[in-house]
Amino acid sequence: METVLEVRGVSKSFGGVQALKGVNFALRSGEVHALVGENGAGKSTLIKIISGALLPDRGEIFYLDQPVTIDSPRKAQEMGISTVYQEPLVYNELSAVENIFLGREIRKPWGSIDWKAQEEKTKALFASLGLPYHFLREPMGELSVGLQQLVLIAKALAYESKVIIFDEPTAILTEHETERLFDIITKLRMRGVGIIYISHRLEEIFRIADRVTVMRDGEVRGVFSIGEVNRDRIVELMAGRLLVEAIERKGKKSDAPLLVVENLSKRGRFSDVSFQVFPGEILGFFGLVGSGRTDIVQTIFGLMRQDSGNIIYQGKTVHFSSPEEAMQSDIAYLPEDRKVQGLFPILGVGYNISITFLKEILGSFGVVREKKERNRGEEYVRRLNIKTPNLKTKVYSLSGGNQQKVVIAKWLGTTPRVLILDEPTRGVDVASKSEIHNLIAHLADEGLGIVMISSELPEILKMSDRIVVMHEGKITGVFDRAEATAEDVIRAATGERLISVER
Amino acid sequence: MNMSRGQFFRKREFTVLGLIVVLAIIFSLTTERFLSVSNLTNLLVQLAGTAISAIGMTMVIITGGIDVSVGSILGMSSVVAGKLLMANFPVVVILGAAIATGLLFGFFNGSLVAYGKIPPIIVTLGMLNIIRSLLFQLLGGRWISGVPPAIRVIGLGKWLGIPISMWIALILILFFTYFLNSRPLGRAIYAVGNNIEAARVSGVNLTRTILFVYALTGMLVGFAGLIYVARTGIVQTNTGTGFELEVIAAVVLGGTSILGGKGTIVGSLLGAFLVGIIKNGMVLLNVPALSEGLVIGALILISVVIDVVRARGERI
Repeated sequence: METVLEVRGVSKSFGGVQALKGVNFALRSGEVHALVGENGAGKSTLIKIISGALLPDRGEIFYLDQPVTIDSPRKAQEMGISTVYQEPLVYNELSAVENIFLGREIRKPWGSIDWKAQEEKTKALFASLGLPYHFLREPMGELSVGLQQLVLIAKALAYESKVIIFDEPTAILTEHETERLFDIITKLRMRGVGIIYISHRLEEIFRIADRVTVMRDGEVRGVFSIGEVNRDRIVELMAGRLLVEAIERKGKKSDAPLLVVENLSKRGRFSDVSFQVFPGEILGFFGLVGSGRTDIVQTIFGLMRQDSGNIIYQGKTVHFSSPEEAMQSDIAYLPEDRKVQGLFPILGVGYNISITFLKEILGSFGVVREKKERNRGEEYVRRLNIKTPNLKTKVYSLSGGNQQKVVIAKWLGTTPRVLILDEPTRGVDVASKSEIHNLIAHLADEGLGIVMISSELPEILKMSDRIVVMHEGKITGVFDRAEATAEDVIRAATGERLISVER
Repeated sequence: MNMSRGQFFRKREFTVLGLIVVLAIIFSLTTERFLSVSNLTNLLVQLAGTAISAIGMTMVIITGGIDVSVGSILGMSSVVAGKLLMANFPVVVILGAAIATGLLFGFFNGSLVAYGKIPPIIVTLGMLNIIRSLLFQLLGGRWISGVPPAIRVIGLGKWLGIPISMWIALILILFFTYFLNSRPLGRAIYAVGNNIEAARVSGVNLTRTILFVYALTGMLVGFAGLIYVARTGIVQTNTGTGFELEVIAAVVLGGTSILGGKGTIVGSLLGAFLVGIIKNGMVLLNVPALSEGLVIGALILISVVIDVVRARGERI
């Protein structure tokens, strides 16, 4: 089999973070080549470089043995490299046929679109894959995600693609749709298309891949034919020799739980989730994006409503219908994305921090006591070491780490008992990160119950007293800090059920 | 406020103030009447209603919304006030009725935006037409004129040489500036305009905040309607037509970002003065009315362009 695409010595960095370090990767025609790795291992960056969404800092790409520069997704597609994303990017109002031929319509001699020819060609494409094509004229928005994916695969074929990249294609498919997709991938492979297949479901990889490349920390850690490797070996390489020293803790966990979640379910998001949070502990929540972690904590905080199950807080069943109510019960939630749910960009640092506790610093006539506000603001700036000229400085001008600290300060200002932290150090520089870690440990020592969601395994292992692992909306593992290993956590996060501690 | 001198000069308020001074100098040199007491009084009287309405509009635009129905609301409250005046109701009742009329429509606007989640431009455009059409029904094409003199003191009376209506406007501006900076609801208005999602997560009551700004705008415009009747003594079916553009122009020129999130009421007052002076000066200079639109339109576009360009640097 010949090599259709080769990547040699590709590096890419963002700011100070080296996302790819001299990566080599080769795809043969007619193979399914799986790409696996933890979050942040560099898979997405590599795919973005191959599909033209990013340019590498260094290194070369060869396509059909020619050196190429792929500087836009459109160019990639025209060359014959197509990508099918987890959630298909489609024009919802247009039909399947229009989506396939958008921008390169088949035209009649006088320039108008030849609808009939387009439809015939689409039908032929679908028929060649053994697929039904009764839905081709319906708007894409009304098709299931599975059918939308098929349309994008057909589009890739219409471009006569020699490389098709599947990025987590089965994450939101039904079992039946998944089977159909595997059938199609087998057919594509027989036609000589080279397929890059990204998935967190290792069992799928053993079913359909010919080879697998394992990445970690921006480097390739191994390339294997599927016959010469087993699941444990892949997990070991993904985890690496992860030696994480647990952060020092002084406080003691209490025996009575602060927050109890019982059989919480929400259709399509998470099901039958139960766990407890004790005062003085850090409960780490690990799972891939889309595993339902954020949905669960947003439900606790009153941003979403469960279909069934109970939330018991300090011995009482509670239903928070808004963040306001959750805050009145001393629950705080640091959201996952500070830009979307955290910051007020053109307000000053002081106003950003005080918004959550204005009601506590009111004087006569319900007027905010500015001196108190300023003192509290300055206190947090000092305590969290926020680097800002003054409290009036607008937060958009601060660095990512300082912006994150402002959002954390806002939530500390509510003097919570339960503090839910969703990716507390995402997009934060190394120095700020360790400051935030020390702060979290200190808060737990003071007796707060902390729930910390993270996609970063080292962070979870460093900070957590206990670790809850989620996979596709279900809890697949609960570990005590002493017995948790990186490999076990990854196993649980990729779908193996390993509940070792029940409490 | 501990801001450096440089910060002050970069503020929009300073630019607008500078423009006002420059224009005032130009007009007083080129026309004889500009500096006359009667002209300046006239200018202030005309501005009072705009300035009062701009208080509410500033808050609406800070939340990222807009209210184009204020002209129709002004017309309607003028009609209500005018009809009650002709029936010789006591002033207190008329004042209450004018404000209540504005509140009613403002509340309606706010409810549709806050609960219905309908874009404000659509809601208030609909209301603009509905109210105007109700007004036609009520007046039946006739005028109200010959308003009793007792009420006209609100429109034409003076104290310390400054019209009473302008005193009222200044008091309201002071009060609501304080409100916007120092009451939790005022802070919530800025928060909603900065990032509505973050405001929600931070425990801000979004519906209450949004409902409030539209209802308050309605009330203030209702009061401005009463001032209008008191000043002119006449109400017609087209009273208030185009008033919304004058108010929005004042707010936007005064530095409130049309993208939401920032702005001050004092800025809007200065914006109202700028618009008023331009109009007044051009009349005195006998410049055709068409060019007035040209100048004000160009200024609005310039200030919006500045906002948009500046906002690019303020993204996170």
